[in-house]
Formats: sequence, structure tokens, C-alpha cells
Amino acid sequence: MSSPPVTGPAAVREHRGGPGPARFRPRRTPPAGAARPVRRGVLSYWRQYLAISPFYLIFTVFSFGPVFYSLYLAFQRYDGLGTKQFVGLQQFEFLWNDPVFWLSIRNTLVIWVLSTVPTLFGALVLATLLHSVRRFKGFYRIALYVPNVTSIVAVAIFFGAVFSNDFGLVNAILGMVGIDPVPWLSDPWLIKVVIALLMTWMWTGYNMIIYLAGLQAIPQSVYEAAKIDGAGPVRTFFRITIPIMRPIILFTVVVSTINGLQSFSEPQVLFASNAANQNLGGPGQAGLTTLLYFYQSAFLDNDYGYGAAIVWAFFVLIIVLVVINWRIVQRGRKS
Amino acid sequence: MDLSRRGFLQAAVFTAAASGLTVACGGGSESGGTKNGKNLTMWYWGGALSDKVVAEAKTHFTSRIKLTSASIGGDFKQKLTTTLAAGGSSVPDITGIKGEDIASFLPNADRFLDLNDLGFKKVSSQYLEWKTKLAQTKDGKQIGFPIDIGPTALFYRADLFDKAGLPDDPAKVAAEAKTWDDYFALGTELKKALPGTFLVNNMGSVFNIAVGQGTKRFIDEDNHFIGDQDHIRAAWNTAIRAYRLGLDAKINDQSWNSAVGKSLTTELGAAWHALDIESAAPDTKGKWRVCATPGGPANQGGSYLTLPKQCRNPEEAFKIISWILSPDNNAKSFTDAAIFPASPASYAMLAMTGPDAFFGGQKIIEVFGPAAEAIPVSYEAPADSAVMAPFMAELTSIEAKGKKPDDAWKDAVSQAKQIARRQGVS
Repeated sequence: MSSPPVTGPAAVREHRGGPGPARFRPRRTPPAGAARPVRRGVLSYWRQYLAISPFYLIFTVFSFGPVFYSLYLAFQRYDGLGTKQFVGLQQFEFLWNDPVFWLSIRNTLVIWVLSTVPTLFGALVLATLLHSVRRFKGFYRIALYVPNVTSIVAVAIFFGAVFSNDFGLVNAILGMVGIDPVPWLSDPWLIKVVIALLMTWMWTGYNMIIYLAGLQAIPQSVYEAAKIDGAGPVRTFFRITIPIMRPIILFTVVVSTINGLQSFSEPQVLFASNAANQNLGGPGQAGLTTLLYFYQSAFLDNDYGYGAAIVWAFFVLIIVLVVINWRIVQRGRKS
Repeated sequence: MDLSRRGFLQAAVFTAAASGLTVACGGGSESGGTKNGKNLTMWYWGGALSDKVVAEAKTHFTSRIKLTSASIGGDFKQKLTTTLAAGGSSVPDITGIKGEDIASFLPNADRFLDLNDLGFKKVSSQYLEWKTKLAQTKDGKQIGFPIDIGPTALFYRADLFDKAGLPDDPAKVAAEAKTWDDYFALGTELKKALPGTFLVNNMGSVFNIAVGQGTKRFIDEDNHFIGDQDHIRAAWNTAIRAYRLGLDAKINDQSWNSAVGKSLTTELGAAWHALDIESAAPDTKGKWRVCATPGGPANQGGSYLTLPKQCRNPEEAFKIISWILSPDNNAKSFTDAAIFPASPASYAMLAMTGPDAFFGGQKIIEVFGPAAEAIPVSYEAPADSAVMAPFMAELTSIEAKGKKPDDAWKDAVSQAKQIARRQGVS
């Protein structure tokens, strides 16, 4: 504890750059003349580490710990209260032979594709449109972003009412133009469409904001050059905007993959279970996503080991898909 | 007030310290108590007990015990499991457990006190045997004190029966719908007379009750899977018959709320289901009647109070729960919160024998009372509801996707077997 008086002031001077003229020095250049002190030990930065420690402590206790505990659980049979029993790879063997698990994977992938593709494409189109808008910019941005900050439960309940088979708004409108009611919430495919639509509605605005930020970083001169060369708006979009935006698109694809595969609340709220029928995911389990199946196994059937096995198998799947996505989006870059 | 950074930090530190201190003190004073603690906590969920009776219990025992009750929202079972697994002083002294969850707590009966040691044996004859047995381990340890039950009945629209030219008097309808076959025959007539109406809302509700009418379920007492045997197949076939005859409305979502007052002529459900109907279709008031379930009564739901082994004062806690759940107070709970008692003595009390306006002034206890006492004693294994789930899922698959019933049966059995194996059932 004797070191601070010595190193303290030096550290301050180095970080802030001295008062006055130092401010005009280019960043990242060590102050001229000031002899760089000997590399100091990690411990001398204890204040900084202490300042950022709350996040890491909470992360370790509430995220990191449980993640590895769940890996341990995947090799046990455990009902939540009794003794754990080591079962080796048995849970994974069950998983491999469980048709409901594979059904849930199929459901998740279909819902993911049905939601991610329109979300990202729509977000890009909206961002381009919004980028060229001159008036009410703020209004449009807020209006498109609001769905993302709306409570997912409220949105799901609202969608459930709007798409209700017999008395929903959508079927009422279809009925007015003479179309027979569509079984939105019982047909296996339409269930997925409704869930995907809900996710699209929630996430388009979020991705749009990210794309908009990317668009604003593209210098206007590039577009002017393209215009002089005679490129139309569509050609400019595909030949200029998209290539420059590639890193941003990559980011949104990865994030959407991770988010989209983890759909849980949407089907859970749309198709609530009850005491008599504790199956989740609606009629025919068509909306049973993998995370929902995990929840059912662990928390409704009290089979925590199996639940842990489901999420770890799913983790592997997400990694594989993220890598594939990465490769696809990166592909054009090498040429 | 202008809040400086220093001021803000100071405030934050003080708040954190204060809350830490509170937690420490709270933990200290409670965990310090031996087995004659004066402060008892009770967990239940909204509607599990009558708040009025709980408030009366607080004043009744106030000289000896300070009872604090907490209405726990959300996933009650999960919160209780987590708290019990964590142990310590946060475990409640008295807690409710839902009827559908009690079986899954029985393998961990050592987490709870045996109520027989505290005097439950002396009062157990006042409560329905089949309900008491469901909260008992194989070696006779009683972990749950029955709060309420859910005896089933047939709810029907007397006005629509009348319109179809059928008898609408409860006794006559009960006689006409004595078995499932009779009931479906009645439904076929109703459908002919009133096109566009349905007898049952979905196959799951028929299957659920048909299984509950028997003494055996999906797993036997020797921990063997018996879900592929005749008793389950018969219940399955009963459900399928409603579907084949076109009596099934195939409702598996919230649209039940709008259908119940319109296209459904009958409803199968427990006593508490009356409230669902009443809130979904308030304008059908007076048009509904109740009679005995076709094929005999079953039970749906109904909870228990238990004493976790950390209970700070078992003697007093047991006195409190037996007071709250005494036949007299059970009758009060029925009046106050429509909690159907597990104590038959309550059925004759004034609070329960009155006419019900929603059912056109019918004295519904005359239907539910005898039903409650006639429910068979059955064995429900810890994994029972998990093993039952694929049967319900396949029934909805038939309704939603038009899956062939025989294929659905095969898939349901193979999935149920797999779940059983996962849960350690042989």
C-alpha cells in the first residue's frame, strides 16, 4: 500500500494527458520527454480492476458457474431435490433416440429461417429508405424501434388475440373479403409462421438501427462517384452498399442466429400449458422450440439431467450454424 | 436536489450496507430459533387458500405465534424446489403444494415432516381417503394435508338440451348420460338438432377424465410402465370415439373462451371449472346445469399444505394448518374463494348447500358432494404427469394435423416408454 503515492500522480498524468497543451497531442502517442516508467505489475491497477469487478463477479456467480454446472448435470440423473446419480452418456443416448427432441430442432430451424430472413432483409431495406428520408427522421426511427423494447409477453398475448382461429382480427378481416377463416394457431405450419412473424415484428427495428448506423458511415463521395459512372439506385445498393456493409451484416447475422434459435417466450406465451395438458408448443407440438422442450423436461418433468443434455446438444448446434453463417457471409470477401 | 457524484456514491454504499445488514439480521433472528420458534412463514399461491381464513388464523394464533403469509406468484413448484434445495432459513415453515406436483415431491419425502407424527392420524378420518393417500409415501409417511379437491362433473346447457327436445333436468340427464356411450349418443342427437354445436371441447379433456376414473394410471406401484395396457387404451378409445363421431370441437387454444358460451353444449370439468365458464361466458348465467360425470367421477387438481423439515415449530404449525383446514373453516373457504373442501363434513354445512344462481338455482353440492366421495383411490407415480404428456400431445396432433389415431397411439406409447425410462421407471 506504499506504492500509490509514487505511481498515483504519474498514472494520472499519463492517462489524462496533462492540462493545457497536452490535450492537443494526437492520441496514443506517449507524452514526449516523459520517460515511461518501468512496466508496472497488474496489482498496481487494483482500483481499475476493482471498478470493473462487479460485472465479472456477478457474471461468474450467475452465468459462468451455472453454465458449467449444467454441463456437470448433463451426466447425472437429478430431480432437483434428491441425490444426483451419475449416468455417463445415457442422457445423450436418450436424446439421440428422442423424436420430440428432433422435432423441436426442426421447429426451431424452420422458425429461425422464417423469421431471420425477412427480418434482416426488411431491416436493410428500411434502413436504406430511412437513410434517404429528409423529414421526421427521429419519428421514424423511434416508431420502428419501439417493437423491440415492448414486453415480449404483451406482444405474444396481442398476437394470440389477433391470430385467434375463431374470433381473431386477422380472420375477421379475411372474412370480410370472403376468405374462409385460416387456422393460424392450430395448423403446424401456420403456428410457425405466426411465431416467425412475431419475431420479425420485434427484431426488424433493432437490426434497422444497426444498419442505419452503418449506412451513415459510408462516405457520400462513394455514392457520387457511382452516380457519375451511371449506376442506378438498385445497382448502387447491391454493388456499393452491401459490400461496404458486409461486416455489419455479418454481425447482425450472427446475433440473429443466436437470438432466433433461442426462441422461447413467444411460443410459451402463445401456447400456454395447463395442469391437464402440460405439453408446451401448441397443437401437435408444432411450436415446440428446443429451448421450450428443455424447459418442459427440466422444470415441468423434473428431469434436470436430461434438460441439461438438451441445452448442451443445442449449444453445439448453434456453434455449427454460426460458423456456417460466418463462412457464407465471409465468402465473397476473398475474391 | 443536486446530486453530486460523491453524494451518489455515498448513498449507494449506504444503501448496499443497509440492505446487507437487513439480510444478515433477518437471517440471524430466524435461524437462531430452535424448534419452538414464534415467527412462522407460510407460502401459498393466489387462490390456494381463502385469504379471509388465513387472516383469521393470524389473529387466532396471535398470542403464541406470529404467522406471516406470502402469496407466491409465478412458477410455484419451481420456486419451492429451488428454496428447498438451497435449504437454510429461507425455507418456509408451512407451504402449499399443488395437487399435480405432490407426486413429484414424494421421492423427496425426507424434506418434509411426517404429519402423522404430529397428530394427523387423529383427524385423517375427516378427510377423503383417496386424497390423503395421494400425499402419502409407500411406507405410510404423510407429507401433505389436503386443502381442496376437484371432483368432476358434466356441465351442460339446459336451454340447448331443451331446444333439442332432450330432458334438461339434472337427474334425468345424469341417467341418460350414465356411460360414455350414452353420453356420446346424447351428443349425436344434440348435434343433429343443433348443427354447428359440439359436445366436448377437445379429446384431451375426455382422456384425462377417463384415465382418472380408474384406479390405475401410467405407472404401477412397483414402478413399472403400464401406460400401454388396456385401461389406458380404453380411455384413449373413448376420447377417439368423440372425435370419430364429430362431437369434438378440437379447441386447443384461448378460443375456448369465446366458444364456451356459443358452440359448446357440454363441458367436462372439475368443480372449479364452473368459475372458468362463468368468467368466459357471463351472459349464459342461469342456462347451465351440472350432473354426474359419464362413467363415474374423477378428480382434477386440489392442493396440500406441507411442513418442510426446517419448520421452526412443528407442533404449532400443525395446529395452524389443521385449524385453517378444519371442516368448519373449509366451508368458509368455499364461500369466500370457491375452494372445494376435502372434508365431507363441510358438504352438509349451510355455506355449501345454497343454490347457485349461475346454475339456475341448482344446489350443485348435491352433484359434487357424492362425486367427491365416490372418487376411487388410485396410485400416482412421481413421473406420472411426464409420462402422460405424450398421450395428450398425440391427441392434439390428431386434432390439429389429422394424424391417424392408430399411428398417434403407437407414437404416444413409444414416447411415453422413453420418458418413463429416462425417469428411472422400468
